[in-house]
Amino acid sequence: MKIRTMAGGFATAAVLTMGGFGYAAAQPGDFSTLPVDPNLITDSLAYSAAPPVFNPNGQPGVQAVYTHRDGSRQITSTVLVLPDAQAASAALDGARAELAGKVANGKTQAAAVGSGGTMLTGTSPDGSKSVTVLSFAEGNTATTLEFDGASTDPAPSDLVLELGRKQDTAIRDWQAA
Amino acid sequence: MRKIGMALAIAAVLSGSVATAQTAYAAQSSHDTNVSIQPVLPAGPKLQLLDCYGTTGGMGCGPGWVWRDGWRGMGCYPC
Repeated sequence: MKIRTMAGGFATAAVLTMGGFGYAAAQPGDFSTLPVDPNLITDSLAYSAAPPVFNPNGQPGVQAVYTHRDGSRQITSTVLVLPDAQAASAALDGARAELAGKVANGKTQAAAVGSGGTMLTGTSPDGSKSVTVLSFAEGNTATTLEFDGASTDPAPSDLVLELGRKQDTAIRDWQAA
Repeated sequence: MRKIGMALAIAAVLSGSVATAQTAYAAQSSHDTNVSIQPVLPAGPKLQLLDCYGTTGGMGCGPGWVWRDGWRGMGCYPC
């Protein structure tokens, strides 16, 4: 049933894309509302946002960096908006391969977020920081949420999943708009 | 004379016994058997659970939790 639904979704996306009404075409370049502010699930003052970076590394999408007020924690949200789901899946694979060299002692586990969600936990190569990365696809988007903190203070998995699910919902709402 | 002495001695002994008995009875009657007196027991040790820092905790955080600024901002976090 799920496969049938996904196949239907892909077919619909393909039809819409061919007709000139794909996700990216429907909202050309308007990615500013995509990132979910982590203050939504905190005490609402904990994080400050840097100005979003559009089309990071030349890829269509948006990247937002949120820094904790004490400076010891940082959340980086990257949402890439690609032509189709296959491209999004490929971009996600590329991002995960890149992360493999960025996270030491990494442990990967499945995460019930979006499509193909995974959570990677580990440390920075020098061991000075904890690093947790949640990645998932949703339609034609590929998302990574990176949580950097002190080595003794990794991001709690419930927080990672909660923010990830809110991000996934925001993407689906954006796609449906 | 000897008989008088003996009589006085016997009278003294008898009067002493009677007086002692009255005193003992009087002392006994001062206790009301209908009043229940609870024994005073020593207070047992009170258990005060502590937070991560060995204090009684702040901001309503329970034992095993501590108030600090963490990933979710200010809040109670486990030790």
